[in-house]
Amino acid sequence: MDDQTKPPLRDGPSRRGLFGAFGLAAGALAAPPVAAAPTGSEGHAPVTLSVNGREHRLTLDVRTTLLDALREHMDLTGAKKGCDHGQCGACTVHVDGSRVLSCLTLAISAEGRKVVTIEGLAKDGELHPMQQAFIDHDGFQCGYCTPGQIMSAVACVQEGHAATDDDIREYMSGNLCRCAAYPRIVAAIRQARGQMGAA
Amino acid sequence: MADTFGDPKQLFGKPTPRIDGKAKVTGSARFASDEPVGNPAYAYLVTSRIAKGRVTAIKLDAAKAVPGVLDILTHGNVGGQAKPAKAADGGPNTPTLDSDQVMHDGQIVAVVIADTYEAAREAAGKVAVTYAAETPSATFGSKGVKVASHKSRSGKPFPKKGDAARAYRAAPVKVDARYSTPPQHHNAIELFTSTCEWDGDHLTVYEPTQAMWGSKAAIAAQLGLEPENVRVVGRYIGGAFGGKGANAYTAWVAIAAKRLNRPVKLVVTREQGFTVRSWRAETRQQVRISAGKDGRLTSFFHSGQEVTSRPSQYAVAGVEVTPRMYACPNIDTKVEVVHADRPTPGFMRAPAETPYFFGLESAMDELAWKLNMDPVELRRINDTRDDPVTGLPFSTRSLMQCYDAAAAKFGWSQRSAKPGSMTDADWLIGYGCATATYPANVAPAAARLTLTPDGKAVAAIAGHEMGTGAYTVVAITAAGALGIPVDKVKVLMGDSDLPPLTIGGGSNNAASKAHVVAKAAGEIRKRLAEAAVAANGPFKGLDPATLTLKDGKLLGPSGQTEDLKTAVSRVGSLVEVYAENNPEGLPPEAMANTYKGQTAMLRGGGRKDHSAFSFGAHFVEVRVHRLTREIRVPRVVSAFAGGTIINPLTAYSQYMGGVIWGLSAALFEATDLHQAQARYVNNDLAGYVIPVNADTPSIDVIMVDEPDNTTNPLGIKGIGEIGITGMNAAVANAVYHATGIRVRDLPIRPEKLLAHA
Repeated sequence: MDDQTKPPLRDGPSRRGLFGAFGLAAGALAAPPVAAAPTGSEGHAPVTLSVNGREHRLTLDVRTTLLDALREHMDLTGAKKGCDHGQCGACTVHVDGSRVLSCLTLAISAEGRKVVTIEGLAKDGELHPMQQAFIDHDGFQCGYCTPGQIMSAVACVQEGHAATDDDIREYMSGNLCRCAAYPRIVAAIRQARGQMGAA
Repeated sequence: MADTFGDPKQLFGKPTPRIDGKAKVTGSARFASDEPVGNPAYAYLVTSRIAKGRVTAIKLDAAKAVPGVLDILTHGNVGGQAKPAKAADGGPNTPTLDSDQVMHDGQIVAVVIADTYEAAREAAGKVAVTYAAETPSATFGSKGVKVASHKSRSGKPFPKKGDAARAYRAAPVKVDARYSTPPQHHNAIELFTSTCEWDGDHLTVYEPTQAMWGSKAAIAAQLGLEPENVRVVGRYIGGAFGGKGANAYTAWVAIAAKRLNRPVKLVVTREQGFTVRSWRAETRQQVRISAGKDGRLTSFFHSGQEVTSRPSQYAVAGVEVTPRMYACPNIDTKVEVVHADRPTPGFMRAPAETPYFFGLESAMDELAWKLNMDPVELRRINDTRDDPVTGLPFSTRSLMQCYDAAAAKFGWSQRSAKPGSMTDADWLIGYGCATATYPANVAPAAARLTLTPDGKAVAAIAGHEMGTGAYTVVAITAAGALGIPVDKVKVLMGDSDLPPLTIGGGSNNAASKAHVVAKAAGEIRKRLAEAAVAANGPFKGLDPATLTLKDGKLLGPSGQTEDLKTAVSRVGSLVEVYAENNPEGLPPEAMANTYKGQTAMLRGGGRKDHSAFSFGAHFVEVRVHRLTREIRVPRVVSAFAGGTIINPLTAYSQYMGGVIWGLSAALFEATDLHQAQARYVNNDLAGYVIPVNADTPSIDVIMVDEPDNTTNPLGIKGIGEIGITGMNAAVANAVYHATGIRVRDLPIRPEKLLAHA
């Protein structure tokens, strides 16, 4: 897909609660044509989603979020539901390389896009440097927000928003960690930043 | 004793990455709602729109017309099928579907089940409930609340010694102040969930619970099932903080699954989580404290009022702990509960100490100012080797070591004492400190440990991994005691089909698990050694007590070795031990009661010959903007003496997390109430403010070495809760130092400082 045909995925840094920034409001993704009107049972539509390089052909209630499609229809339970309102970041995945809140993204709007979840981050059984850095620095406790933190952290580095500790803190503030591993998350990103840059 | 459990210095203390780390960073760790079940139906709760009254009618036509709706449970169709759920203290709770009575806003009044989550949610919005509403009473001071005196958990009177009122009257220096703390909600990032699946008469519940056997017993009791027919599974718990014990909705999810003959999955919404589970109640406290001119305390009075629901007597009663902190000859304490039309409160991280140490440690700071004394020195003058309430010695008390270590690192000596005297451009700088504490608790536990000839072990215990590093604690213990590497130990937890452990609360689980696993390993060593000395080989005829397990070998006193393959194969194709450990000081039936899901803990404050507590000290720098009164905390240094540290890597994380929780309690967290409706109004993660990464300062945690084999044989005191305690006061004390404004009502938000500007 030509990049110019896509709406912008995000428009800047955000703190908690600003739906528009990290999240994809349903309307914002209206641009790619969704071919099928609901077919089959009432309010359902066929959807093909590309997740971690694999095509998934599903029939979904059109209201199904990308998060629920991953969790309840594809057994990809790495992305977590912490609020369902775009307030916590636990559901963060990558859509066409950008970090996105999957709970605020309708599954049908992700058609034709490349979705990567935490399950798709390690390559050939080798952990992504960010995953290893989170282990090395104990950048989590319960681990529930961790998939979202890591997906967000990878994007944060790729965006060029991890140059300083203050930048990391600011650009990682859309991902809540109730165990409060924040200082160690910053340390993990600091470590992985260099390793990712070399890659 | 040391022989039974081993030497803690040998077993523990090496920083060890979590053995479940890879599962957590790759998304393969299965939290309860991640567990695959076949063809689940989805449940969605309908909760009350009133706080007091009765449900008079529920119209279901519109909801049932939603395509995909399968069933709707109400009091009318299932109300008698489950016994009422208990509160956290085992006492009465507010109802759910078991009654048509509404006792708080957001009470469960119906459960909708549908083929899809989307249909269930839509239908839940179409369930039309009509009520006979009455005017609710929200909180302290609301018309219609009922104040009642409270009795302690043990049934004993609250601490009282000497004549506090008289000593107070006579004292030259005194503080009499009232403090208040707000309602709070745990808000673990994992939502509350329950997935129920039947196989004939056997029920499996996938649920995040910090009490595997407790939840099993509670569900069985509610549904009238034999406990052996109930299995609770929660291999990973996405944060609990006291909020994830037994609950009222699982029984209804189980009933729904039975009616449909199909697994049913409930994911409670964030908003509903504020009312269908427990919370930390608001408190009002009075502290009256007096001292001689030398700073020695002469009297201490601490009273608290706590909100609870209409039927529950639940209270945290922190006055059972606060008088134990400092030497004082005259003590008086009191607790009252205030019944309002609210959900039943329950445990939340350091339930008693968090609110009540705000009162104690703020008052100590106020007293230091009145005495014109360094607040650290006031603590030193009143330090005590004996528990002032019981007169028994503390097993260890490293409070001043913590103060001194943290003060040095913080640079406390650079402090200019006068409030408002330290500035940086438009920022007023304040330094504050406070004491932290938590009782050292340990509970009965059982574990199964298996060692195979290839030098691998499997440890099984119904433990709770909620971020504490529980899997790794078990692996470290088994590996150390069996003399094999940590990565050779597989740990099975989070399943009530495994040997029982009591509730993961009161910071007991690490100590409880480590003792029973070490004991099991000790038994394995003994079996291998006894077989080895009886057989022809390098150990023939030796005293089996001289044989140890080290570096993957059986080791003799003069350096003789035998590989595990030979040593284990001698006794069988594997060696397996089922061990129970009932801590000395508990009655024999405590172990049996653990199998019944009951909590039987040897508590640090209720022992016969000593008191066992962890201690700590926080030092905080705050910066308050001269004009806007924005409050920032750039740095914290906290030191803790928590006995034996099993894994310094994860211990640091837990202490640090606790400190940030305390910071959050000081500056951010409060659940706001609509007074007229008795309703929470900021019931989501946008409205309920917790720190984000950018709010979180540099946290320096110092772990003070503290061997303590009086507390328990391995000297493990527990670390999950102490970090939060006292932090709220440390921040308030620093804000006073920065501004000269004493905020006695949490949280400390800029508007409270602007009011004084």
